[in-house]
Amino acid sequence: MSVPDGKRWFLPKESLDALIAVLHQQQYVVIGPVFHDRAIRLEQVQRADQLARGVRDEHSGGQYRLIDGNQELLFEYVVGPDSAKKFFFPPRQELFSLHVKGEQFVIDKVGPAAPKLAILGLRPCDLAAIAVQDRVFGYHQPAGDEAPWASGFRCESELYYTQAREQSLLIAVNCVRPGGTCFCASWGNGPQVNKDMPYDLAMTEMRKGFVIRSKSRKGAAIISSLSLRDADDAEVELEGLLLQRAAEHMGRQLQTDDLPQLLDRAIDSPHWDNVAKRCLSCGNCTMVCPTCFCSTVSDSDDLATGSTTRTREWESCYTHQFSYTTSGPVRSSIRARYRHWLRHKLDTWHDQFGVSGCVGCGRCITWCPVGIDLTAEVESIRRYDSRDENHAPPRITVEARP
Amino acid sequence: MITPAARPEPHCGHDTWYPLAARITNVVQENFNTRTITLEMVDQAQRNDYQWRPGQFNMLYVPSVGEAAISISSDSDKPQVLEHTIRTVGSVTRAIEHMPVGSVVGLRGPFGEGWPIEAIEGKDVVMMCGGIGLAPLRPMVYWLLNHREMCRRVVLLYGCRTPEDRLYADELEQWHEDPRIDVLVTVDNATSQWVGPVGVVTNLLRRIKVSARETVVMVCGPRILNRVGAWSFLQLHVPPEQVYVSLERNMNCGFGRCGHCQYGPKFVCRDGPVFRYSDIHDIFAKEEV
Ligand SMILES: Cc1cc2nc3c(=O)[nH]c(=O)nc-3n(C[C@H](O)[C@H](O)[C@H](O)COP(=O)(O)OP(=O)(O)OC[C@H]3O[C@@H](n4cnc5c(N)ncnc54)[C@H](O)[C@@H]3O)c2cc1C
Ligand code: SF4
Ligand code: SF4
Ligand code: FES
Repeated sequence: MSVPDGKRWFLPKESLDALIAVLHQQQYVVIGPVFHDRAIRLEQVQRADQLARGVRDEHSGGQYRLIDGNQELLFEYVVGPDSAKKFFFPPRQELFSLHVKGEQFVIDKVGPAAPKLAILGLRPCDLAAIAVQDRVFGYHQPAGDEAPWASGFRCESELYYTQAREQSLLIAVNCVRPGGTCFCASWGNGPQVNKDMPYDLAMTEMRKGFVIRSKSRKGAAIISSLSLRDADDAEVELEGLLLQRAAEHMGRQLQTDDLPQLLDRAIDSPHWDNVAKRCLSCGNCTMVCPTCFCSTVSDSDDLATGSTTRTREWESCYTHQFSYTTSGPVRSSIRARYRHWLRHKLDTWHDQFGVSGCVGCGRCITWCPVGIDLTAEVESIRRYDSRDENHAPPRITVEARP
Repeated sequence: MITPAARPEPHCGHDTWYPLAARITNVVQENFNTRTITLEMVDQAQRNDYQWRPGQFNMLYVPSVGEAAISISSDSDKPQVLEHTIRTVGSVTRAIEHMPVGSVVGLRGPFGEGWPIEAIEGKDVVMMCGGIGLAPLRPMVYWLLNHREMCRRVVLLYGCRTPEDRLYADELEQWHEDPRIDVLVTVDNATSQWVGPVGVVTNLLRRIKVSARETVVMVCGPRILNRVGAWSFLQLHVPPEQVYVSLERNMNCGFGRCGHCQYGPKFVCRDGPVFRYSDIHDIFAKEEV
């Protein structure tokens, strides 16, 4: 059954608990945005009253603040430091434990089973980021709902990703109040979902309830089990107005059409030295970015049992050990590390995965302790670039060599 | 060997974090800090399945210590005999250094794109390497000797610090006598017995004639040799499409997922470690890419 894209239902606020109950019935662990650690975090919820309510967020370079909002509204904020990444690609994941017996490696423990998650309150940029990581970890959203990852064996950590993704249910919330560092619209990734994004249900919040639409069979089944009424014309019109206004109020903008070429040319840009003076190389931007995928697997021993556990953890390209070799780190300067990160996001990601590595969520701007702003850095690079008469990419010719 | 329940499918270790068990069957001390160990897969089926190409590498694993990327240095026509020439520089390599014959190490692989066997047909092949860089080229030498009719001249240029540092010293002597291959070895510091050339390996280019259009070049050494080596061939007008360089990067997964080995748009573990110069010319001269 395919659901016509235009079809909308209305979910009254009181029915959010019914929605969560249906998800529980279907054995989902339900994740939603909650107020925790003085931030909006994504955590497990049992009831709708655990969701953050009546809070707004203020974002700018290096600044994040929650303030009182409209008590009638549940989703007046945008993204916090968490993203769906932490569920499908956990920050710390045990792969297996083993010990050596004679000439054999004996497996003591295999990694955890992939969870069955329903994530409520993902933003359009979050969905775009999931689509990016789907490419990175080799999961492709199927045309129908068929199991997509069945083709061929992959390494254990990818198996976890693909299983968790396959079992997941994604409920998005469109943004009617974009944040101060958001620039999803520059990428075409928001403020509302589009048909290329991986979601099952998408909602737009109004005072009394949500206009809700479904994209998948799983989503349609949930709609019908809630026996929702159709959204009326006024509601659909209001949704359109809210989302159009949101698109006009993005906190940031980025000219995205020429970024790979620009950053190819910019490999020797003087601007990298400017950024290097400010960047602390703390790696925050890579930790909060919903698409960054670097990781390190390392060993730890249980001295009591003699078993060794191999664990995969998120890694950042801003550390020294990331590129360490016997002759020292490949990228020893901060200049080179920021350049690597920015070029990876906006340029070489295209070569590797056919898409941009940035979706415009703004997290790296908000959570940078010194407020380094990707959109502003790109603009500076662009200014240097247009000053440069010589637009030809650097060619290494034999003659040019000493 | 891994218990079947934990291993969804039998395979050769190039798309998994599970190490295959391999026993050390022989150890040769090459020089003061480098040894060549011979590995044999413990499991008979895995031993029979394992195929590889010159230039590929394995991740060797010592439980509770970690993994290191090590090139396979033996003859790929005898794929079950897996030699690895290892220079002791840190934790994993030191742990392996202390392992006697009969010990078991973990192995994942083979990984990466090897040397361009397809590109050498009817051409001259010139290999240039320094120090431990001879290890990944040794399988190429074997391959060229086994399939000698494939190409025209075969030249190996090798540089190391002192005569005592030479890897595979006996074999180098043999190849030196072999009419099918020209071997030139140079050292940075000579000892009294040394009668060969002294100086950097690129100096050896003065001693051979390179017919630029007809030559395929393979370079493997420390970072500086990769650059100076590749450029010296370009200066002799060897086309950039015919110059191949084996690069080194920090590696963790080996199969293009962990991000550590990135080199511009490339993953060195998956797209390399051997690269064609013309494919990386725009970043090759750049620092800290
Ligand atoms: C494709 C490839 C083939 C190689 N082939 C050989 C070979 O045939 N013989 C040989 O002796 N060495 C080879 N090396 C280098 C070898 O991988 C390192 O010397 C080894 O990883 C050092 O590990 P360690 O634990 O002993 O050192 P430590 O310094 O304790 O290692 C610490 C960390 O740094 C990383 N690291 C350190 N040095 C290097 C390095 N040079 N390259 C990549 N990662 C490094 C390790 O993976 C580890 O994560 C190769 C490297 C690559 C990338
Ligand atoms: S680079 Fe920054 S704005 Fe882009 S997706 Fe990552 S965190 Fe969001
Ligand atoms: S850009 Fe900001 S967040 Fe990223 S490493 Fe530098 S200081 Fe940290
Ligand atoms: S070593 Fe992990 S991506 Fe290359």
